[in-house]
Amino acid sequence: MLKNQRKNNHFITKMYIYIYDIYVSEKKYESTIARIETRITDLGLNGKIIRLSVMSSLFETIKNELKKGAKTITVVGNDSILNQAITVIAKLLPANGAFKNVPLGFIPVGKKNNSLANFLGLELEENACDALSARRIKYINLGIANNNHFLTHATIPTTGTILEIDKTYTIEISEPGEIGIVNLLKDEALDNNSGAKNQKGILELSIKTKTAKKYLPLIKEYGERSVFSFKNLTVINKKLPITLDNSLEIPSPINISLAEEKLNIIVGKNHQF
Amino acid sequence: MFNKETENINIKEAETVIGPSIKVKGNFHGQGNIIIEGQVEGSIKTNAFLLIGNKSIITASVEAKNAKVGGIITGNIKIDEYLEIGPSANIKGDIEVKSISINKGAIINGRIVMGAEKSAEK
Repeated sequence: MLKNQRKNNHFITKMYIYIYDIYVSEKKYESTIARIETRITDLGLNGKIIRLSVMSSLFETIKNELKKGAKTITVVGNDSILNQAITVIAKLLPANGAFKNVPLGFIPVGKKNNSLANFLGLELEENACDALSARRIKYINLGIANNNHFLTHATIPTTGTILEIDKTYTIEISEPGEIGIVNLLKDEALDNNSGAKNQKGILELSIKTKTAKKYLPLIKEYGERSVFSFKNLTVINKKLPITLDNSLEIPSPINISLAEEKLNIIVGKNHQF
Repeated sequence: MFNKETENINIKEAETVIGPSIKVKGNFHGQGNIIIEGQVEGSIKTNAFLLIGNKSIITASVEAKNAKVGGIITGNIKIDEYLEIGPSANIKGDIEVKSISINKGAIINGRIVMGAEKSAEK
């Protein structure tokens, strides 16, 4: 009996890997983490917990666990660790195609810097555990900006930014505003379907300027927006970086396209794509 | 006045929207509807509908299936089916089109070749 239990425990430990971001070890998250762990246990999803430290590498951690046969990798933290985990898994995929069968889960902790949770249809903290239990998995395309992958979008201010699309034309923007490169992000204003677009290998470029006047009378709403579709985009800004998934900043020049790698990710029922 | 396709065009249906503060340089070719309110230098081509706004400045050759144009256009325009030229349009270039409507106030400096003449030339 005890032997079987040990076997089961070992199996469970192999099944689920939880990687905690550094900040969730802070004292103010102690009770939150305790609630998450209780919920995980109640749902029968308990597994191996790895607490990242300043010295530990997320890349090595995920790589090792995948090699050991992890069946689910779940990161616990905010947009930053989710974005990093996506890039890590995407970079490991070419080495071992079987890794694509390991879905990435996410438990968002704290309201700060956790905008991607809502997009994935995940509630915060212990309430996100229910989505892990339901195991609703989406196989999704990723964007890639130089060597970094992104799930939803990348942004950069318009000031000083020059864009080159598919090496056939350039775009200059004369008003202050924001440029968004969209992989998976539903834009209510445009009623777009970037998910459908990226299935065709196309990403969307959306430019919002603040002072532009209204368009033609035929276009009454959303008058401060420009939209382009592209396969390859080069972004140049000598002063400002581009931000991926609200978390990672990288300097220009930046080449952006749809990544060859796709990822299995666990989403909530209210996911927005 | 417009056919159904042109009447219903809006930002939601457009594949590309070039806003007033945008300047595009190069060969801009698309498959879907295009709305231009900014500046374009080079060439514009689409298999669908093209809308060029009243304040646009276009220095480019223009090709589309159907179009409604305003603004300043320097370059030749080739439209497969129907072209409406708005009252604000100031066009310097030749126009090749199957059918056309020109609003009062529009300025055109160039040759207009209509569908029938095009067939005759062939």
